Amino acid sequence: MDTQHLSPITYHPTPITHHPSPKIYGIRHHGPGSSRALLASLEEWGPDIILIEGPADGTDLLPWLAKPEMEPPVAMLVYRPDQPRRSGYFPYAVFSPEYQAARFALEQEVPVRLFDLPQGVMLASDHGPAMPDKQTFELLAQATGYTSYEAWWNGFVEQRQDGRDLFDSILLLMQEMRLAAEQHNTTDIDQSPEKEKEQAVRLRLAEQREAHMRQEIRRAQKEGYQRIAVVCGAWHGPALIDLQNEAADVALLTDMPQVEVDIAWVPWTYGRLATFSGYGAGIRSPGWYHHLWEMGRQNHSRSETAALWLSTITQLLRQEGFDASSAHVIEALRLAQSLAALRDITLPGLPELNEATQAVICGGEAEPMRLIQKRLIVGERMGLVPPDAPLVPLQRDLYAQMRALKLRPEPEESLLKLDLRHEQHLQRSQLLHRLKLLKIPWGKTIKARGSEGTFNEVWQLKWRPDFAVRIVEANLWGNTVIDAAGAFAADQAQQAIHLPTLTSLLDEVILADLPPAIEIILHKIQEASALNRDILHMMGAIPPLARIMRYGDIRQTDQALVAQVVETLLIRVCVGLPSSCRQLDDKAAEEMLSAVINVHGVVSYARSTDLFDSWYATLAEICQASGVHGLVAGRMCRMLMEGGRLNDEETISQFEQALSPTYAQKFDLQTIRQAAAWLDGFLRGANLLLIHDHQLWDILDRWVMRLSSDRFEAVVPLLRRTFYSLSEATRRQLAERVYHGQPSGPEETLHQEVDPTAADAILPVLSELLGISDSNKWEETA
Amino acid sequence: MSNENKLRAHAEEKYAAELYELKQQDRRPKPPNWHLSPWAIATYILGGTLDNGFEVSPKYIGNGRLIEIAIATLTTDRALMLMGIPGTGKTWVSEHLAAAISGDSKLLIQGTAGTAEEALRYGWNYASLIAKGPSDEALVPSPIMVAMKRGQIARVEELTRMPADVQDALITILSEKVLPIPELNDEVQAVKGFNVVATANDRDRGVNDLSSALRRRFNTVVLPLPATIEEEISIVKQRVQEIGQAMELPAEPPALEEIRRVVTIFRELRGGLTQDGKTKLKSPSSTLSTAEVISVMNSGLALAAHFGDGNLNATDLAASLTGAIIKDPVHDAVIWRDYLETVAKQREMWVDLYRACRQLV
Repeated sequence: MDTQHLSPITYHPTPITHHPSPKIYGIRHHGPGSSRALLASLEEWGPDIILIEGPADGTDLLPWLAKPEMEPPVAMLVYRPDQPRRSGYFPYAVFSPEYQAARFALEQEVPVRLFDLPQGVMLASDHGPAMPDKQTFELLAQATGYTSYEAWWNGFVEQRQDGRDLFDSILLLMQEMRLAAEQHNTTDIDQSPEKEKEQAVRLRLAEQREAHMRQEIRRAQKEGYQRIAVVCGAWHGPALIDLQNEAADVALLTDMPQVEVDIAWVPWTYGRLATFSGYGAGIRSPGWYHHLWEMGRQNHSRSETAALWLSTITQLLRQEGFDASSAHVIEALRLAQSLAALRDITLPGLPELNEATQAVICGGEAEPMRLIQKRLIVGERMGLVPPDAPLVPLQRDLYAQMRALKLRPEPEESLLKLDLRHEQHLQRSQLLHRLKLLKIPWGKTIKARGSEGTFNEVWQLKWRPDFAVRIVEANLWGNTVIDAAGAFAADQAQQAIHLPTLTSLLDEVILADLPPAIEIILHKIQEASALNRDILHMMGAIPPLARIMRYGDIRQTDQALVAQVVETLLIRVCVGLPSSCRQLDDKAAEEMLSAVINVHGVVSYARSTDLFDSWYATLAEICQASGVHGLVAGRMCRMLMEGGRLNDEETISQFEQALSPTYAQKFDLQTIRQAAAWLDGFLRGANLLLIHDHQLWDILDRWVMRLSSDRFEAVVPLLRRTFYSLSEATRRQLAERVYHGQPSGPEETLHQEVDPTAADAILPVLSELLGISDSNKWEETA
Repeated sequence: MSNENKLRAHAEEKYAAELYELKQQDRRPKPPNWHLSPWAIATYILGGTLDNGFEVSPKYIGNGRLIEIAIATLTTDRALMLMGIPGTGKTWVSEHLAAAISGDSKLLIQGTAGTAEEALRYGWNYASLIAKGPSDEALVPSPIMVAMKRGQIARVEELTRMPADVQDALITILSEKVLPIPELNDEVQAVKGFNVVATANDRDRGVNDLSSALRRRFNTVVLPLPATIEEEISIVKQRVQEIGQAMELPAEPPALEEIRRVVTIFRELRGGLTQDGKTKLKSPSSTLSTAEVISVMNSGLALAAHFGDGNLNATDLAASLTGAIIKDPVHDAVIWRDYLETVAKQREMWVDLYRACRQLV
C-alpha cells in the first residue's frame, strides 16, 4: 500500500495531560497474519497492560484461556439467564489475535482486560450495533486490483511476512476508510421510518461501543499504566486515538439499560467458525488459517507453507483412496506459482492453490475438492473446555427441566415406565428423546413386555459422568435442550444422503417433538427420494410419513408438505416398481411383499384419486408381467380384487392362470414353486377368503387333486407356511370343510329368494361349518 | 488460395491482426520460443483493450480463471488436458492457445479408435525406405515430432478415443521430452517451447481411460457447459438457424419458446435440479450436451418439414427428444418417466409435450 498519497494525520493529540498515548493494534478478527505481527510487536514493545476488544463483562473469564485443559477453538458465551436464547458468542481460534494477545498477557503476567461495551448492555437492546459498510471495503479492493476485500486483506496483511510498521499503516488506511464511509452513509436516506429508527439505535450502540473503549483507555491511563496496548478490530483504531472529549463519552454512556448476564466458555468448531462468528462475519477458511498460523510459528517460508499445504492435501487424498504422489505436490506447487505470476500476485494464495490442486492432483474433478474443502480448508477441529469451567446455559436448562420433571441423574441403571397420555410423562419422554438426539443417551427405550399400545414407553435410564462434557459440547447447537436438539437434528438432516437415515431421523424428531427440524427433514427426504435408486428405501419412507399425516401433531404448513412428499414418493414408486419386481429371489420377494403391503395401506388414505388409479394400474401391470415372483404377484392380485379392480370372474381367471402351468406334463420344480408362491402371496393372512369364496376353493381343490404325488410333496412345505398364516379358527373351519365336503351349489343361491323353513333346516350345519357356536370366533368372522 | 475462399481459416490467419497488435504491445517476459507473453495470451483469448486502444475480441466467454490455469500450465513443462462434454469449446480453446503461443495451430493429431502409433511418433515413406533403407529422408515425422523440433505446441484431439497402447506412446515424449528413433539409432530432443494440448470428452471416461502414468503428465482443466439458460438458448438458436439454412429445410425456424422448453429439459436433467431450484432429479446416462439440444431441434425441424405441417410442434420433437435422453433402455426410461410425471406434467404450458412424450415411453 502506497501511503504517500494519504493525507498526513496527527494521532498524537496535543498533550494536555501527561498520559502517554496508547499503542493501537488494528487487527482483523481471526487473522493469522494479524496475530503473528501482533505477537512480534507486543514482544518487542513490552506493554504494561493490554486492552482487547471483547465484552467488558467477560474480563474475569480470560484467565481460563491459560489453563492447559483449554484448547481452542472455544467461544465465550454471554447469555441472559432469564432467556438463554438471547446470547452472544465470541469465538477464539488459536490463530485469533485476541486469543494470542490474551495468552501473551497471561503468560507475561501483564494485566489484560476486555474493553468493549458489556454484553449486559448489548443484550438489553433489541438490535445489534451497526457494522461498518462493506461496500467501502470492496471499493478499496477494486481500486487495488483484487477480486474482493477478503483477497486484498489476505494478500496485504495475513500473508505478509514482515509485520513492521504494519499497524501504523493499517491505522492510516482505516482513517481514510472511515472518512469515505461517512460520506457514503450521508447519501443513504432511502429507508422506512421503522428502519430508520432501528438504524438510529444501531448507530448509537456503535458510538457507545467506541465511547466505552475510549473510557476504558482513560481508566487505564488514570490508573497509571504507561504502555497501554490496545488490540481491536482495525476499523475502530482511528476512533480510539483522540481521547480529549471525555465529557461527551460520559454523556453517551450514562443511563444505558443493562441486563444481568452469565458467561461461560463453550467448545467451538472450525465449521461453526466458518459460518458464524460473533463479529457479524464468519471466516471462510479456518483450516487454511490454522495452517498459515502453524507454519508462521515454525518459521517456514511462504513457499514452504504452500508446499506443506499441498502435501497435507495429498495425505488426505491418499487416506481416502485417491492417487496422490509427492510428484503431484511439486507439479501443483509449480502451477500455483505460475498462476500467481500470471495474476501479478507475489505468491500463491488459497485460490491459486485450490485451482492447482484441482488441475494437477484431482485430474480436474470436483469431488475430491469438496472433501478438501470440508476436511482441510474449513477443517473439523473441535475445542476443549475444562470440566470445572462455569455452567453453560444448556446445562442450566437441562437441570431446570430435570427438576421440573422429577428426573434425577443416577449412575445406577433404573427403569422408567411412561404413559404418554399424561402430560408430565409425555414431557419426560420428549426430553429423553431430545437428549438421545444430542448423543446424550441417558435413557434408551426398551420393548415393553405385556404393555402393548403406542402410548406406553419403557426407558432404561443410566447417567454417565461423561454426559457433562457432552452437554457442554452440545451447547454449540443451542442454549436450551429443545433448541440444541432441533438445530442438531437439522444439521444431521443436511448431511444425510440416504433415505433410510432420513426416515429414521424423522421418526426420532417426531418423538422428540421438534417441529422446525421436521420441516427441514421433509425437504431433505424430497430431495433424497429424487436421487434415490433403491425402490425399497423409497417405499420404506412412505409409512412413517403417512403416520405423521394421520396422527402427527404438526403444524398446518408441514401437514401440506408431508402430503406433497408422500405424493411425489408414491408417483416415483409407481414409476419404478414394475421393473423392481422382476428377478427377485425368495428373500427379496418377502422384503418386497412387506414393502408393498405397507405402501398399499397408505395409498388407501391418499386423497388424490389420480394416485389411487395409478397405484392400481401399477399393480395390474405387475400382475400381468412375466418374471415377477409369485409371492408379490399373488398378493397384488388379491389387492386388486379387494380394491374392486378385478371382478370375480377376472380374479378366477388370474387364479387359474397362476396355477395352470403346473399341469404341464414335464416336471418342473421351479414352476410348481412359483405357483405355490403365488398362492402364498394371495392367501397369506386372508382368513375368510377361502371360506366364503367357493369358486376359489374349487379351483384350489381341483389343483391340489390334480397334482401328482411327487409334485404335491414339492409344494407341501410352501402350502403349510401359507396356511399357517391363517388364524387357528379359519384353519379349523377349512379342515372341517375338507372333511365334510363343501356345501352344495354355487354361492349365488344365497342371494336368491329364501325359503325360511328350508333355510332354518340348514342352519345347524351351517353354524357348525362356520364355527359360530363359539361366540369369540363369530366376532372374528363378523 | 486466398483466405476468403477457404471454408474455414485457421485461428492464426483469421485473427492475424489481433495477434500482430498484441505482439507489438507486449512488454512482458515471454517463455522461450513463445510468440506472446502469458498475459498477452490471456488477453487474446478473453478479450480486452490494449494500451493503444486496439480492441481484442473475446474468443472464450466464460470463466476467465480457467483460461489462466490453462496458460499457467503451459508455462510449466506439464502438458494440458482440456476436458468437457462435447460443445464446451475444448477444441476451440486449444486451437487459439496453439495459435497464440506458437503462431501455428496446425500441428494436430485427431484421436480415433484407428489412430496408430505412427501418427504420434513417426512413419516411413515406404518407397524410400525400401530403396535406401532407414534414413532421415525416408522418415515421415508426426505433428508431435515437428512440434518438438520447432519448440511449438502440438494438439491432440480426443485423446481418450485412441487405443490405450497408442496413448502411452506419449509418456516418454511428455516426461523425457525425447522421441527415440531406434531404426536410425537417433532421437529427437524437444526444443524449449514444445508442449502438448490434448482434449478429451469426459463422458467417455472408462472407454480408453488414460493410464495413471500418462494422466500424471497432464494438468486437467474442465471446461463447463454454458452457465446460464439464456447463454445456452442463444447458442442453440444460432446454430439451429445456421444448420437449417445449410440443409435448406423448408420448415419455419423454431419459436424461441420451443427452444427454451427443450433447453430447459436438458439443463434440468443434466443438472439434476429443476430451474426453480426446488426439485432434485436423477440424471440419465446420456451426455445431454448443448450439441444434442441442437440435434434434437434439427431432427424435429426435419420431421416438421417433411412429414408435418412445416411448423415445429411437440409431436415432432418428442421422438428425437426421447431418443436423446434414453440411452440405457432400463434406467434412463425410468428417469425420463419420472421427470415427465413429476415435472413436465405439473407445467401448464407443457401439456402437449407431456402427452407426446408419454405416448412413446
